[in-house]
Parts: sequence; C-alpha cells; structure tokens
Amino acid sequence: MADAEAMEVEQAEQPVAKGKGRGRGAKGDKDGEGKGKSGKRFEIKKWSAVAMWSWAICTDTCAICRNNLYEPSIEYQANPTGDTDHPGLSIAWGVCGHVFHLDCIQRWLKTRSACPLCNKEWEFAKIEKILPTGTMGE
Amino acid sequence: MASKSRLLKEARECAKAPADLGISLQPDERNIHTWRGHIRGPSGTPFEGGTFELTLSVPQNYPLFPPSVRFKTKIFHPNVHFKTGEICLDILKGAWTPAWTLLAVCQAISALMADPAPDSPLNCDAGNLLRGGDLRGYASMARCYTLDLASAPARQLS
Repeated sequence: MADAEAMEVEQAEQPVAKGKGRGRGAKGDKDGEGKGKSGKRFEIKKWSAVAMWSWAICTDTCAICRNNLYEPSIEYQANPTGDTDHPGLSIAWGVCGHVFHLDCIQRWLKTRSACPLCNKEWEFAKIEKILPTGTMGE
Repeated sequence: MASKSRLLKEARECAKAPADLGISLQPDERNIHTWRGHIRGPSGTPFEGGTFELTLSVPQNYPLFPPSVRFKTKIFHPNVHFKTGEICLDILKGAWTPAWTLLAVCQAISALMADPAPDSPLNCDAGNLLRGGDLRGYASMARCYTLDLASAPARQLS
C-alpha cells in the first residue's frame, strides 16, 4: 500500500515540476485516459497535497511571569534599568520549543533544570532581544 | 516584587473564570499573598453537593516556589490530612513548575478529589479502606463527612 502511494507521488512530481501544463490530468481520470491514447507517457491518477503551518512562537505569553513575550518581563517592569542588555529584555527558546523571558527562565533554572511547560531537560536553543517599545515601527 | 504583579494578573483572570468550573478563588483584600478558594465537590464523587474551602498561602518568591494549600473544610480523603487539611499532591512539592497558576492548582485539587491516590495516604483510614478494596465503605464515610461538614448552604460559587 505504501509502495503504491510512493509510486503515485513520484509520477505526480515530474509534470508538476516541469510545468508542462498537464494539470488537467490530475483532476479527472477520464480526461487523463483520453490523452493517454495520444502518446502521453504518464498520467497523474491521484495527487494528495498536504500542507501545514505553525507560528514560530506558539504562545505570546511567558508562562513564568505571564507578561507578553513582546514586552519586558515583570521583573524588568518592576525595576527598569534602562540597560538594553538586561535579560528581562530578551526572550529565550529551549530546544523543546518553549519560550520564556531570559531572566524568568534563568531564575527558574536555579531551582530545577527542566522546562516549566514540558519538564524536559532545559537546553537553550536561541536567545533574541525584544524590540524596545516605541521603536517598533521605526 | 514580581510575585505581586503576577498575583494581581492572576486575580483578574480568576474573576473572569467560568462559573461551571466549580471553583472560585480570590486574594485576601489586604494581603495579596493569602488567597481563599472554594471548590464544588466534583459530581459523581462522594463530595458532590459539598463546598470545600481552601486557604492558599503564596511565598514571596512565587512562582518559583509553589503556594502552600490546605483544606479549611474537613474532608475525608486519603491524600488530605483530616485534622490539618494538608494536601499531598506532587505539584505542590517537587513537581511544581512556574507554569502553574493558583487556579490551575485548584483544578488539580478538584481532580485529586475525584481521583484519590491511596498509595501515598495522609489519611490512613481513608487510604486503608480504598487499598482494601472497600469502595463502598470509603464512599459512605466521605459522603457522611461531606453532608455533615461541607454542605453549609449559601456559600456562593461565582
């Protein structure tokens, strides 16, 4: 069964990639059959296109301080220093895909080195600065 | 300091919590670190029809550390100390993470009421009944205490 499907996909890929305008074959088998007699090499019998998408950040709230991730952390808001390198002005991704303010996750990691949301061992994937409010549109 | 602003956020969210949740939760008027909750006894359990009061005391370093939660209403349940109301629940101890909220903690306690874990009992009488397979004995004891101690009318849950 899996093999048969793979075959169909292989056949389907060629005409689409080359863009020779044989799209009609993909729609109806009867059309395809008719053309098949006039020397066509192959026809598309079935083409199941599957697509998916997701946000780069699946939530916009830091689960630790509950502030928006595009805003500074609660800790920074309580004691703003003006220092643009403050960890409350950066957000950190774990390899598990969860995102928190950098200072929020750093404080939690002193307690336990696990992601607060999925309990997997925490490992930093990337850290980015939040754009300071007021300069967003500039 | 940060704990205070997160608690204020949670207070606003609790005020919006749907009534069918069966949980009401609000901070003390004068102290944001002390909260009072009411859980409606889950339906289909011996606690149905009762309203159970909880006190939550929230540490200064919340949410890095969990709140300590106790039943103020007496309850016959293997994981609740009958006299002190202390609760044996993993998320209130080692399994705590700052992603939990006070409302979620109350939901977890409501789930614990419906699904007792008799292998780590704080109330040995309740635990022994369940471990011995005497479901009817457990249910009738729990029901009896619910009717006697948790069924005071006019406790509003909204």
